[in-house]
Amino acid sequence: MNIPGTGGARDIFHTGRPRDFCGQNAGMIARRLGHENLGLGVGLRTVHFTHILKNNPPVDWFEIISENFMDSRGRPRYVLDQIAERYQIVMHGVSLSIGSTDPLNREYLQKLKQLANEVNAFWVSDHLCWTGVATRNSHDLLPVPFNEDTLRHVVRRIRIVQDILERPLVLENPSSYVTFAASTMSEWEFITRMTAEADCGILLDVNNVYVSSVNHDFDPEHYIRSVPHERVVQFHLAGHTNMGNYCIDTHDGRVIDPVWKLYQLAHELTGGVSTLLEWDARIPPFEELHAEVLQARHHMGGQLDHLPPPVAAPDTPAGGSAVPHPLHYVLPDVR
Amino acid sequence: MPHKADYDLVNIQRWMQSVITHPLGVQAGIESPAAQDEICVQPEQVEGVICPSRNRTSIQRLEVYGNAYFARLLECMREFFPATADALGVDVFDQFTLEYLQRHPSQSYTLGHLADHFVSFLETSGEQPDQAGETGAANWSDFFIDLARLEWTIDQIFDGPGVENDTLMSTDQLAEIGPDRWPHARLIPVVCLRLLSLKFPVSNYYTAFRRQQKPAIPTAAPSYLALTRKDYIVRRFTINEPQFTLLRALVHGEPVGAAIECAVEKVDDLDRFAETLQSSFKLWASQGFFQRVELTQNS
Repeated sequence: MNIPGTGGARDIFHTGRPRDFCGQNAGMIARRLGHENLGLGVGLRTVHFTHILKNNPPVDWFEIISENFMDSRGRPRYVLDQIAERYQIVMHGVSLSIGSTDPLNREYLQKLKQLANEVNAFWVSDHLCWTGVATRNSHDLLPVPFNEDTLRHVVRRIRIVQDILERPLVLENPSSYVTFAASTMSEWEFITRMTAEADCGILLDVNNVYVSSVNHDFDPEHYIRSVPHERVVQFHLAGHTNMGNYCIDTHDGRVIDPVWKLYQLAHELTGGVSTLLEWDARIPPFEELHAEVLQARHHMGGQLDHLPPPVAAPDTPAGGSAVPHPLHYVLPDVR
Repeated sequence: MPHKADYDLVNIQRWMQSVITHPLGVQAGIESPAAQDEICVQPEQVEGVICPSRNRTSIQRLEVYGNAYFARLLECMREFFPATADALGVDVFDQFTLEYLQRHPSQSYTLGHLADHFVSFLETSGEQPDQAGETGAANWSDFFIDLARLEWTIDQIFDGPGVENDTLMSTDQLAEIGPDRWPHARLIPVVCLRLLSLKFPVSNYYTAFRRQQKPAIPTAAPSYLALTRKDYIVRRFTINEPQFTLLRALVHGEPVGAAIECAVEKVDDLDRFAETLQSSFKLWASQGFFQRVELTQNS
């Protein structure tokens, strides 16, 4: 068993076999869909490539943005291959567009599958969202209305994707900024039914629950308590920006105290799952990034008297705008 | 009054995309024909589609996505073309890019294709019916087009296919080709070799920009570059016009003899060209320009 926050060596290999079953209420569903708790990981970002290769920092695991590597035939992929030999890798996509009414992109799915096999990814995740329609890609994670029609549509597509990938899909609750009049159920109810009917996993982004709860006036603890905990494969943590009367998921700072409290609740309810910190803008040095995710150990029970000072979300940035979940670009090495 | 809420998913998605990607903002997006074709609501009726929250109106909530759409892609384009954005000034660059993104919205799962048409878009935008266009002389906009072309070429080489795991043609192999076989030999270029013919010496400008030296825009002068990738680093080589012509002919599959004949047409000093020819091939081979040599039966 991996001990969170101590990792680095790739000493656990995914077998796909269930290892840990929940109680009778969960039937025969393997806890975390049978996946290991990989510990405390961070998102692999290009600014840290050199540091990681040189120093082999003791990180439990890395999550990669799938689309940044699936077509790469240059240095990004070269670096990833080296890191995948040393660390546990999980793939996280941003363009599956599982909720779109456009056809699924089969070429994309085949490339996703190939990359997952090549880097020995422990699992493949994306978002419960759509990114575009009518052949366009907004490169944003757009919400769907939560109703029976959407549920049927999404479940059907998840099954197709899982058949192609030959592995369960893990879907994340995105942060969102609108809700639809066409919705007939809550997000947590939709996720509960979706995961049961499609037999897929959940990437529970605790920060997104918080951000959406502020934006949509719901109780984030109720959300955390309501999702099927046995299907939670992974947690996401991140910082966000407080815009006054709403929040934007900017991934550009530390995790705030209320999110840590939600994380503690989620940890208790799930029994602990792989936890990953996302930091995508104003990215700090690697040590600072890693130290932030290691704070999660203080919220895993029994150590709450050693909590670090609370952190508040930064206010509206200068200029008055903030971009949700920013994108990444690899600056070429050129001479 | 809000309209009925039971819109089909496809209509909601097409409507929302039209609304949040409208260059004039969400209100204009709601009123646009594309949005109206999907869900016929006016801005004051939008609560029938998008719920308000306790603190924000439906329009305000949609604006989070509307504001982010172009901001995100503009940021990405500035990262693709940092020198061009700096040279044009971010405001002017953003104006061009906004128009570009409306004409060429992303249709790919990857941002790697976002700027596929940007250089040709700039070329079209930069066409001016003045004397420069008629005489073929460089005009002001050519500098920015050349710089964008260089940046995009570098980007494509950097993350495109390479030859790091291949054994390339060596200078020794080059030397082993006998004089009688040489004219008929075909030098197969590596997959990452690119050649650029430019109206401005933008490579030096780009170097200075990368070194944060705040370079001045240079005077127009033809320049030629060969670019390739070695050890995952993009390498630039300044070449002259005959060398560019020679390499271009080789890339097009011409044998060495025919390629040299093409180059000679661009040569002023034939003796000087002949003197440097061998060293040029040696340099290019040593820098990994060629995958292999193919010797035909004639050679």
